[in-house]
Amino acid sequence: MTNVLVSITLFLPLLGAALLVCLRGSSPRTSHTVGIVFSGLALLGAVFMWVRGVSGGGFSQVEEVSWIPSLGVAYRVGVDGISLPLVLMTAILFLVSLIYSAYVSENAKSYVALFLLLETACLGTFLALDAILFYVFFEVTLVGMYFIIVGWGYAERQRAALTFFLYTLLGSLPLLLAILGLYLGSDPRTFDMRALIENPPLAGLAAALALVAMLVTFFVKTPAFPVHTWLPLAHTEAPTAGSVILAGVMLKLGTYGLVRFALQMTPDAFRDLAPFVVAFGVFSALYGAFVALAQTDLKRLVAYTSVNHMGYVIIAVGVAAAATDASTRSLALDGATLQMVAHGFVTGALFLLVGMIQDRARTREMGALGGLLRAAPGLGWAFILAAFASLGLPGLAHFPAEFQIFLGTLGVYPVAVVAVVGIAITAGLYLRAIQIAFLGETDGKRRKFGDLEMREWLALAPLLILVVLLGVAPFLVLDVIHATTTGILP
Amino acid sequence: MSAPIFFLQSMDGMGMDGGMNMGRDLPLVAPEIAVLLTAVGTLVFEMVRLPRVALPFTVVGLLVATSLTIPLVGTETTVFMDTFRVDALGVWAKLILLPATALCAVLAYPEVKDTDREGTVYALFSFTAIGTLALAGAGDVMFLVLGVLLSSLGSFALVAYPRDDRATEAAMKYLVFGSVTSAAMIFGLTFWFGASGSTLLSELGGVGEMPLAATAGLVAVLVGLGYKASVAPFHFWAPDAYDGGPLAVAAFLSVVPKVGAILALAQVVRFLPESTGWPLAIAALAALSMTYGNFAALVQENVVRLLAYSSIAQSGYFLLGVAAFGGSELAVSSLVVFAAAYAAMNIGAFTIVAVAGRDLRDFAGVGRSAPVLGAAMVVFLVSLVGIPPVAGFFGKFLLFGAAIEGGFVWLAVVAILNSVLSLGVYLRVIVPMYRATKPRATPVSVPAIGAVWMIALFLTVAIGVAAQALIGNIV
Repeated sequence: MTNVLVSITLFLPLLGAALLVCLRGSSPRTSHTVGIVFSGLALLGAVFMWVRGVSGGGFSQVEEVSWIPSLGVAYRVGVDGISLPLVLMTAILFLVSLIYSAYVSENAKSYVALFLLLETACLGTFLALDAILFYVFFEVTLVGMYFIIVGWGYAERQRAALTFFLYTLLGSLPLLLAILGLYLGSDPRTFDMRALIENPPLAGLAAALALVAMLVTFFVKTPAFPVHTWLPLAHTEAPTAGSVILAGVMLKLGTYGLVRFALQMTPDAFRDLAPFVVAFGVFSALYGAFVALAQTDLKRLVAYTSVNHMGYVIIAVGVAAAATDASTRSLALDGATLQMVAHGFVTGALFLLVGMIQDRARTREMGALGGLLRAAPGLGWAFILAAFASLGLPGLAHFPAEFQIFLGTLGVYPVAVVAVVGIAITAGLYLRAIQIAFLGETDGKRRKFGDLEMREWLALAPLLILVVLLGVAPFLVLDVIHATTTGILP
Repeated sequence: MSAPIFFLQSMDGMGMDGGMNMGRDLPLVAPEIAVLLTAVGTLVFEMVRLPRVALPFTVVGLLVATSLTIPLVGTETTVFMDTFRVDALGVWAKLILLPATALCAVLAYPEVKDTDREGTVYALFSFTAIGTLALAGAGDVMFLVLGVLLSSLGSFALVAYPRDDRATEAAMKYLVFGSVTSAAMIFGLTFWFGASGSTLLSELGGVGEMPLAATAGLVAVLVGLGYKASVAPFHFWAPDAYDGGPLAVAAFLSVVPKVGAILALAQVVRFLPESTGWPLAIAALAALSMTYGNFAALVQENVVRLLAYSSIAQSGYFLLGVAAFGGSELAVSSLVVFAAAYAAMNIGAFTIVAVAGRDLRDFAGVGRSAPVLGAAMVVFLVSLVGIPPVAGFFGKFLLFGAAIEGGFVWLAVVAILNSVLSLGVYLRVIVPMYRATKPRATPVSVPAIGAVWMIALFLTVAIGVAAQALIGNIV
């Protein structure tokens, strides 16, 4: 019997969703229990996968079942050093999101079922080793997130969900064309991503066109300037847990695809276009930082810092494509992957905290808040820790990632290091946010402001611990990442 | 001089494979014969005043015809002196369209039961299906003409069935439009006969030497089959006919004759020299039909008309596979898979409309008051957009692949832009379903209709998961 751990981990959440659909008239409590149990089991599976680890080159823990052999499509899943940390991060973020969401009582059953469906889709995107399977999961995430925003979002949810769905569908369809191009160019024809990575099938103009199509898809998803405009709207209207998943997990689908598809399947074309990609990354990083500076809504502020942080990942991938020596390349890719993981935990924590503030104060406007640190010290200190991590303080998660990214960039495109200005700006904007919302005097009505409850601590604490752990001991993850990135391109 | 040659050819063909040999040919058309017997038998039950038996007889007859088709999977031959093809397109047309017809007949039951002449509706479904099968397997221009006329006559009567003003007006429009386009087609096809000296499609290679005649014939075929498949700009009858008649008829017309006509077009271009410019002509029609259909659907307030325009757009997607027919190995599989997907999802969507109501406002809150029905509608519509993992995705993905392989990258780009546009169309139905408003009435499916949409739902999901069963069996 072949090993089935990866597939079990992948489909456990879906099984939970199916169970919920079949349960007639269950109470919100039962629904949330089912959700937490099944995403907990999925996390357990991911931990087992982590323990089994990856071997150096190529993919490990591969599971394969024939699906449409006539077209070379199969159910193929597996991990390497880039996807495994992301899988673990996804499983953790879904579990904490479901723990945080345990107070949702409106249509709790559908809510939990949609989150579980979304978890399978997100895990599947990272685990898929077949281009069609990847695309299937990639698109299902859209449908799941659309219904989460429509069903449980804030006032403008209809418009936000519609924009999100149309925008990102328009964004992802070019990927389908690129996949078809890769398929038609491969010999023998296959959708096996391992084969497409091993022997990049396209060359010349075809490769350039396929790359441009993939860049469109992944830039929209990441998102990079100028195709980021869906993000602030979707984030402000999405429910808190939806934002955590959107920023923590779904943005990584874009950067992961950038590495897995664009970099690995059209490496030569990517090398030629690398300066443009890096330019987009630099611009996104700076743009995201500057626009975040102008925000007064805490959630929009965090959303725009995501554009900034993802900009660094794009720079790193571009640098890896252009790098001529293997050590610079693996340095940049190590940084990019670690940055994805760090951003997942840090931004996840920040969105949870903003949600907790909104649950209490019914507003996210910095100006309307003030003195939160005194009213709710637990919440306040947690926010300060997460904010410091987000601005790249040494000893916290983003620092080792951004350090490696800039080190790699320095060797290839010294000019691009101007993006480092973004860090200074983020530092400024977070300090300003902390000063306005958390320091100062508490006005009268804030005295009733409760501090974090058990449920909220349970959701938040794992993320904060991981933020510190990644900052202090990045090698825990880097060793796994590095094993793969050293041999990722010939 | 052409007529004697045609005659001689037929004489030559006598002893050869593909010649007239009843003993060999009849088993190959057994499904068609079974459908014909079904139609006639249904009429007999109607005449002896046993309408209760008519529906079960029709359904069983169509399913028998379907099962008679199964042994033919993988056959690649012609019968009746090359005039009728038993090939992947023809065989899969039967496997897809006969069960689809049966589903439509069941769907019609609640609407027509206890009306006068109930059984004739089922018989007309079967007769129209035969015309459609003649189209899908056409190997000769006379089969094209026969198929268009046979399927049109039945369709006119079906649309007119309710005999109220709306239905009569719709049928009248349909009749006039159909008669004019069919006449134009027959007239134009004579040029091909003149140029190639044969009515056989397989002899069409000869028309390349007479470009004007070849173009005239091509235009004629595009008009005639374009009308049957409701491809823009020959679609004007469709929204009225769909909305005027019973919903089962709309579901039927949007699936069965349409798919038949598309496959007939593929059978024609298979032999047509590329010098006639057919790939580009069909690609242009595809782009026009998709774009027009989706834009027009975007402003409809009536769900039946919305689905009518969406089916015009879907015809455009089908044409991607036809345009690539000469240059792509994926073309045949893409047409078959998309036809199967389209049949399941479109009949499903129309069935939900039959339950929930024809107006967009009827859908408000349906997703909350009837969650399973609402979820089914979401699956059908998402499948029509082409979002994975359901059937429509696999069909479209193969169509896009065929288009790229056939060199029509621009058309594939137009198609994906249209997919986004179509999401806008279908979200107009999905969004109100989950609004927190109380629906006008909680939709209740009678058992027959419930069975139809559940089967359609099952197939819409299954065709996605089990695509190999189709693709692996297409030569």
